[in-house]
Amino acid sequence: MFEFLFNYSRTVFSKGSFVLLGAWPVWALVACILLGAAALAVPVWRMRDRASGRARGVRLGLLWLMQSMLLAIVLLMLWQPAMSVATLKPQQNIVAVVVDDSRSMALNEDGKTRKEKALEALNNKGLLEKLGKKFQVRMYRFSSGAERMEKLDQWKVEGNATHIGESLAQVAAESSTLPIGAVVLFSDGADNAGGVDLETINLLKRQRIPVHTVGVGRERFDKDVEVTDVQTAARALADSRVSAVVTVKQRGYRSAKGRITIKTDNATLASQEMTFQADGTLQTETVVFNAGNAGLRNLHVSVEPLQGEENASNNTVTRLVTVENRKPRILYIEGEPKWEFKFIRRAMDEDRTIELTTILRTTQNKIYRQGIENPKELEEGFPAKVDELFQFQGIIIGGVEAAYFTTTQMELLKQFVDRRGGGVLFLAGRSGLSDGGWNRSAMAEVLPLNLPDKKGTFHRDPATVELTPAGQESLICRLEENPEKNAERWKKLPYLADYQESGTPKPGAVVLVDSIVSGKGKYPLLVTQNYGRGRAGVMATQGTWRWQMLQPLADKSHEMFWQQLMRWLVQNTPGRVVASTPKPVLDDDSRVTLRAEVRDRNYLPMTDAKVTANIIGPQGVAEQVELRPDPLTPGTFVSEWRAEKAGAYLAEVLAKRGEEEAGRDVINFRREDGVAENFGAEQNRELLEKLAAETGGKYYKVDDLAKLPEEISYSEAGITVRETKDLWNMPVVFLTLLLLKAGEWLLRRRWGVV
Amino acid sequence: MRFRNFIVALVAWITLMSAGYAFQRRMAFDDDEGPLTLPSDAKEKTEYTFARLRYPNFRGGSGLWAARGNWTVDFPKADRQFVQGVRRLSRIHTRSVEQVVDLESDDIFNYPWVYVVEPGHWDLPDSQARKLREYLLRGGFLMTDDFHGTFEWEIFTASMSRVFPDRQIVDIENKDAIFHVLYDLDERFQVPGIIMFYTGRTYEYDGVEPKWRAIYDDNGRIMVAICHNMDLGDAWEWADHPRYPERYASLAYRIGINYIIYAMTH
Repeated sequence: MFEFLFNYSRTVFSKGSFVLLGAWPVWALVACILLGAAALAVPVWRMRDRASGRARGVRLGLLWLMQSMLLAIVLLMLWQPAMSVATLKPQQNIVAVVVDDSRSMALNEDGKTRKEKALEALNNKGLLEKLGKKFQVRMYRFSSGAERMEKLDQWKVEGNATHIGESLAQVAAESSTLPIGAVVLFSDGADNAGGVDLETINLLKRQRIPVHTVGVGRERFDKDVEVTDVQTAARALADSRVSAVVTVKQRGYRSAKGRITIKTDNATLASQEMTFQADGTLQTETVVFNAGNAGLRNLHVSVEPLQGEENASNNTVTRLVTVENRKPRILYIEGEPKWEFKFIRRAMDEDRTIELTTILRTTQNKIYRQGIENPKELEEGFPAKVDELFQFQGIIIGGVEAAYFTTTQMELLKQFVDRRGGGVLFLAGRSGLSDGGWNRSAMAEVLPLNLPDKKGTFHRDPATVELTPAGQESLICRLEENPEKNAERWKKLPYLADYQESGTPKPGAVVLVDSIVSGKGKYPLLVTQNYGRGRAGVMATQGTWRWQMLQPLADKSHEMFWQQLMRWLVQNTPGRVVASTPKPVLDDDSRVTLRAEVRDRNYLPMTDAKVTANIIGPQGVAEQVELRPDPLTPGTFVSEWRAEKAGAYLAEVLAKRGEEEAGRDVINFRREDGVAENFGAEQNRELLEKLAAETGGKYYKVDDLAKLPEEISYSEAGITVRETKDLWNMPVVFLTLLLLKAGEWLLRRRWGVV
Repeated sequence: MRFRNFIVALVAWITLMSAGYAFQRRMAFDDDEGPLTLPSDAKEKTEYTFARLRYPNFRGGSGLWAARGNWTVDFPKADRQFVQGVRRLSRIHTRSVEQVVDLESDDIFNYPWVYVVEPGHWDLPDSQARKLREYLLRGGFLMTDDFHGTFEWEIFTASMSRVFPDRQIVDIENKDAIFHVLYDLDERFQVPGIIMFYTGRTYEYDGVEPKWRAIYDDNGRIMVAICHNMDLGDAWEWADHPRYPERYASLAYRIGINYIIYAMTH
């Protein structure tokens, strides 16, 4: 229809520029239009005296406007309007036909594979032939990179990845010496590299190469479940609970039940039922599992395939978790003998992953130490030197008044959280929290609560406990794998022996458990927050020991709670060297970023370190890589490396200052081939449309390519010539003139001014 | 005849005088069961409470104590006098009065430290033995005191073997934390009861040698601390008496406080 009315395709108008071919100047056209309009106003004004009441005012104005428009169009046509558009010179330009060679193109839909549908368009519907009549056609196939092909027979759809950006950049680079006029890209757009990068888009724009994208494949599956992401900690302590946040997308199974399982190579760690929500929505489920013994875990997280699923190969995602054999140390100082102290110690006796060292003030002048490494350790009480305190990963302050600590110790305690990245937990007591003066101490800033500004906040009265919504999600409070059962179990816990008024949570703090006191209301019981590089928490009771004494021996609520709270306290306390990589599992990708954060003894960034990574990989891969300082982040060192072979890699990162070793850390990563193409397999039309729009091309459906050969001609890349296309003879002009005159006549008859 | 009457009168007088003297001496110590007024802070809520176990008496028992129940020996003066020492000598927040608990109700689980006196006279039925086992395995601590000699030991172990049929009673080594947690108690000796004033001996029956024994849990922590052939309760009770030797009272206090702190740390 558009072309019937306007004689030319939209592309002519979108790519061309409007020109007036007449010899007379443009100002003359404007002057003529204005004079003509003024002249037409005189008879219309006179019509006013003769017209009946109905034809006055706005109506006469409308008649004048219609006459003036008609005159303006006629005058415009006399000035010979036209579109000037750049077109590719026939047979002097190359059109690059780039086809997606990745495995997702082999997906069978409606009886044909995506490749077959593309071939049908190229061969049977004669696209290649039509292009060949106007241009030289150069064919490429691409997956992780572009590769020239002479014939379509070489199109195998066996590639393990789809990297559109990289591939187009290669084609553009190759065209820098060739007259490439346009690129025609056949793809499902299921890019595994996160889309087309801006650099490639700018390169194509600079070379003015329009990319015409042809979308192949279904935009929506009818029945499919896909695990789109799994977030889990890269490291865990042995025997600790770890959560995996599984993101699932499905179509066609709304309200149906599914089952998420987490398996290692030889055992099932967790299994959890889920109910699917609306089609196409991203749904997250948290599955908790035990990390088990120290070692590397390959976690296969999957949703069991459902009946009728179109693509079952996108139901499993692999993640790596390094279960560490380190034994973090916690220093717990308590101001007076109390049952909570005993039962916390007993709970931690059963945890072989954390070492608990305690200082207990038994009398005014005596302390009793447990869990010390040698008789001299902590002989003088709470550490007053940085290296003595920073050797611990977590600190617990029991019922000890703030004044017991010197100014130096208080500052060290603050830096322990802020700079060293440790965890500190405050417990209730006669000399704890506000009653111990902590509300007015230097540590008040670190605490997750604004403590009450008063004394007498500690009460030896019973209090029950209640999980908050955040507590229901927290691993600290997970006594049962099943969230509902967990909430029930918390409700059944015996009452606490005491509680302390803890104040109001600060912004950013998370209240996990409330204590409920009959007749008084609710107080935050367990509150956490991050502070600096570390974390701080408050447990506003010293009476959880009743959970142990008042429940059957087989019940492990008390032990589990404290073990999990302690793990939270120390799990993420960093060492002096922390190595990381953003993607521990490389799906059909080889690029690895190695990063190391290096600190000195005082945990200040160490900028003058020499950092190397010794990498050991599959099939005898062994390489040493030097990490270079990141100029933007002091103490951080980075390097890019390529894992050329599929398999498991281990990198030991070593930091040295001169001959002195600052520390070392180990990271694991894994390259998996043949995986990426199973995911995101629906046609990514949005990406293809955006790519076309950004480069000046157009998006086409694979079964609607009739106009492509002509529209592709309008390009400013390659060898071009400018064409002018007259506009005076467009049917839309004549139709407009006719409508204006006919409309005026009808209105004048209606209004009685004929 | 006169002479004979004189002799009889003399013997009667001596007997009467002796009885009177003995009665006076006895009365000087034997007020432990007498009613005491409650201290003004008796209802204070504290972290630690001296809990005394009430238990059924052994069937063969006889006499006044058997009638009252041997669990009441030294009660309540020993308890109250001991906790005064606990308050003064440590940072333990301690209640001024004791708490009587038994193995019939679950209230005992609120008191993780329990004292039992004269377990050489106890006789725990199976149900109470089971409860005591559960109490101890959950983390409770039992201190036994004031039983002597082979006969009472046999009675004690008869019930204790129902509590822990499969656990041995062993001597506590000097290096054990229970003897060092606050006071270093390497030098220990027999702490006698007040019977020493009648017999002149620090031991009773054939319990010549004091024994510090224990039953440990699987993690090497003492659950039952057994003070055999000594009477710490009397030492606590009569610590304020000018005739009771200070060295015995001091050791009894130190042992008691160590045992509490041990129970609150292990």
